[in-house]
Amino acid sequence: MTPKSDQPQNAEEALRPHTFDGIQEYDKRLPNWWLVTFYATIIFWVGYWFYYERAHLGPDNAHAVEQQLAAIEAVRLAAAPSLDDASLWKMSRNATFVEAGRTTFNTICASCHTKELTGAIGPNLIDHLWIHGGRPTEIYNTVTNGVLAKGMPPWGPVLGAKKITEAVAYVLSYHTEGEPILKQDAWVPPPPK
Amino acid sequence: MSEQKITIEYNDKIVRQFLYATVIWGAVGMLVGVIIASQLNFWQLNFQTAWLTFGRLRPLHTNAVIFAFVGNMMFAGVYYSTQRLVKARLASDFLSQLHFWGWQLIIVSAAITLPLGLTRGKEYAELIWPINIAVALIWVVFAVNFFWTLARRREPALYVAIWFYISTIITIALLYIVNHLSIPTSLLHSYPVFSGVQDALVQWWYGHNAVAFFLTTPILGIMYYFLPKAAERPVYSYRLSVVHFWSLVFLYIWAGPHHLLNTALPDWLQNLGMTFSLMLWAPSWGGMLNGLLTLRGAWHKLRTDPVLKFFAAGVTFYGMATFEGPLLAIKSVNALGHYTDWIIGHVHAGTLGWNGFMAAGMIYWLLPRLWNKPLHSTALANLHFWLGMVGILLYIGAMWTSGITQGLMLNATTEGGTVLAYPNFLDTLNSIRWLMLMRLIGGGFYLTGWLLLAYNFFRTVRGASPVNGTIEVYEEPAPAADARLGFMGTFFNAPTLFCLLGIGFSILWMLGTNLVSVFGLAGALICFAAGYALIQSRGKSWGDWYEKLLLNALPFTLLTFLAVVLGGLIQIVPTVLTQKAQNVEDRIQVPYTPLELAGRDIFVREGCYLCHSQMIRTLVPDVLRYGPYSRLGESIYDHPFQWGSKRNGPDLARVGGKYPNVWHLRHMEDPRSISPGSNMPRYLWLLQNDTDVGALPAKIKVQRMLGVPYGPLNAQQIFDSVGQQSKAIALDLRGSGAYVAPEKEIVALIAYLQCLGKSVPVAPKTTAK
Repeated sequence: MTPKSDQPQNAEEALRPHTFDGIQEYDKRLPNWWLVTFYATIIFWVGYWFYYERAHLGPDNAHAVEQQLAAIEAVRLAAAPSLDDASLWKMSRNATFVEAGRTTFNTICASCHTKELTGAIGPNLIDHLWIHGGRPTEIYNTVTNGVLAKGMPPWGPVLGAKKITEAVAYVLSYHTEGEPILKQDAWVPPPPK
Repeated sequence: MSEQKITIEYNDKIVRQFLYATVIWGAVGMLVGVIIASQLNFWQLNFQTAWLTFGRLRPLHTNAVIFAFVGNMMFAGVYYSTQRLVKARLASDFLSQLHFWGWQLIIVSAAITLPLGLTRGKEYAELIWPINIAVALIWVVFAVNFFWTLARRREPALYVAIWFYISTIITIALLYIVNHLSIPTSLLHSYPVFSGVQDALVQWWYGHNAVAFFLTTPILGIMYYFLPKAAERPVYSYRLSVVHFWSLVFLYIWAGPHHLLNTALPDWLQNLGMTFSLMLWAPSWGGMLNGLLTLRGAWHKLRTDPVLKFFAAGVTFYGMATFEGPLLAIKSVNALGHYTDWIIGHVHAGTLGWNGFMAAGMIYWLLPRLWNKPLHSTALANLHFWLGMVGILLYIGAMWTSGITQGLMLNATTEGGTVLAYPNFLDTLNSIRWLMLMRLIGGGFYLTGWLLLAYNFFRTVRGASPVNGTIEVYEEPAPAADARLGFMGTFFNAPTLFCLLGIGFSILWMLGTNLVSVFGLAGALICFAAGYALIQSRGKSWGDWYEKLLLNALPFTLLTFLAVVLGGLIQIVPTVLTQKAQNVEDRIQVPYTPLELAGRDIFVREGCYLCHSQMIRTLVPDVLRYGPYSRLGESIYDHPFQWGSKRNGPDLARVGGKYPNVWHLRHMEDPRSISPGSNMPRYLWLLQNDTDVGALPAKIKVQRMLGVPYGPLNAQQIFDSVGQQSKAIALDLRGSGAYVAPEKEIVALIAYLQCLGKSVPVAPKTTAK
């Protein structure tokens, strides 16, 4: 931008008569684009307020999220795999499944059950002792629904059916079909290293 | 007019004092910022020391840069410019000194108490109650000194800078007092009188407008004085000053709820916050335009003059931050950006770019004038500018990228939108690590630039002799009686009435029931049409009235107060007056047991809320990750609320019962043993310190006074309850192989964490008890 001369070209260029400590003021028109921006945001306020607060044409926050959650639940129900023990055992012998399950297990489950599955805060998963059932579908349900009283979070909403199936397949890969399933009452963690 | 000529000597000593303080506290505040930024990258950097931990130092950083750095800078600028703009020496040297030393004492006591964990647990309002009282008193000293000076002015008209100073002084007083209302439980601890949603609303009304009236309006006033001075150019447009001043101070105060979008805050407040934030965009840019366009004809000076470089860049950053603000206030954008580093980048565009650069420009301009000696080194000042500029760009570039990346990852879903793509929070944290490092480097650059300023400052003033400005004035008679507006002239005239009626009718339209709303709409339309017709036919008289208003400091102040108080009243009063239980739907919180309350105070003391929110928003990714969205009633007894504003770690609103006790113990002992890759510090002292049970009876008494339904517990019953619950937890921990004495703080904290999210269902809209 080049320096402009101080010569008044029109009324706009006139300085206001009063100065403050030597500071002068022009009295230029407000830029049109600035005014249009201002008016546009005011019109938006009127429209938005009318739409949501006066006419209630749009849902409020709670209803909006509940609608979305219902849609998600519907998708989940439609896609829910019909799992049985046999298919889970089969998955546990599939390298792709087990490998995917290992990833999930190590990032999510290992913090309590350890990467070796030998248990720390949460119980050991490779012995034959089970607190909440050792059949594949029982394990699947325990992971999905959690055991809140014991501090096992319900992972269903967070991980989804696919990741849980894989993680269970991974756990089952340490076991063999037909091995004994013994009832354990509670888990006592080993002292920390 | 009397021909008596007198010479006034300005009180520039006080300006010099505040400048020293600005330079020193600026360096301290920025240094603490760099330290906590490095702690986010390297958790070891608290050296296992409680008072060096992020949660305690972060409040020190924010309070230091806001109140110590910008505060001292503002006082220097306000005192220097006001004296000259009104042609009068500051009214009282005693009040000036009291202001200065009182403020420094407050800063020092803040710097001691905050690292000790003495806090109110509300952002930028952490200082404990005795310091709050001191702040309020010193602010009154400032106000008296300022308005007394105005009363003794020899310049009848008020310049635009003075308008902004007036709005600053009255609004900060109002905000500060309301948000710091508390009832003490001891000399060092208090509970805020508001709780849950009320506390959230009041807090962000305060927090947002602390940004507006502490970090923006005084600096705009400073801009209006120092920028035309430095550029030696006339201000671009007086009428733009008028329009943007009034629209800014009126609209700003409404926008606070945009800090609480998609939370449990009632929808109407969220919609107010969003729409008023958008309307704030143009008024903010009015200030930027008046600054930048004043530089027309002076742009060539930027090449050589570091002062103008700082001012031009500062004003540009102001424009950028005030565009970003409304953008982030749009609900859908907020759903992505809130709780992430984007917000951190946004505020630093304002603080580093606008406040920091305006401060630097002002200091470099004032130095030669206050010490009668040229600046020690212009080259160093230029280097400061470029270091600072690169620092800011690295900083905000990193934070934008980091915030948007983490926001997108946290919100990403897979398998037809039914499952989170990144269920592990740490995956999202660890993908932005390098950006957090870049932020640290940017902040380091900026701090280095500031240290150059400090060096330049002290080299300039060393050996220099301070000079005080003087001016020769005629003793002018008091303004003629016809210049007095009086009560009628201020309120009962077309401009004031049309504004007030127009606003009043619009509010009726917004919030009234059906018939009232239609009435409001009709009234607003009539006001608008009639006002427009009037301004077209005799706009000149409105202009003349305003010129007359500028001669009347008290009426001007009253109108400003009216403009700023409206938004706050409309938002806060209905929420506060409603009985708490009427605010509640679906669920209501179970009051904390004494042990849980003690744990909660530990949570507040350690500043956990600075990294962990307790607010699951009405957004699908939040619900999938953390559980059902938070209801109003679930924090209704929380004094203070702990909804949080940033998630460096996951939300905790429903962490209660999610993990076993021993999980929390091991996690506090060493977060990485549970969550590899976590950047949370270790909290070993919680395993060593005993819970302060003795303070509980006083605390519970205050809670009961504030409306939390505690039964008539006597001290012994409280101690018994604590003993029972802590022994049960210690026993459970023992069962899990961990040996902790029940008296330890960790037990109380575990009790608190394990009760988070506990609520009982209630019928919708129950009546108050």
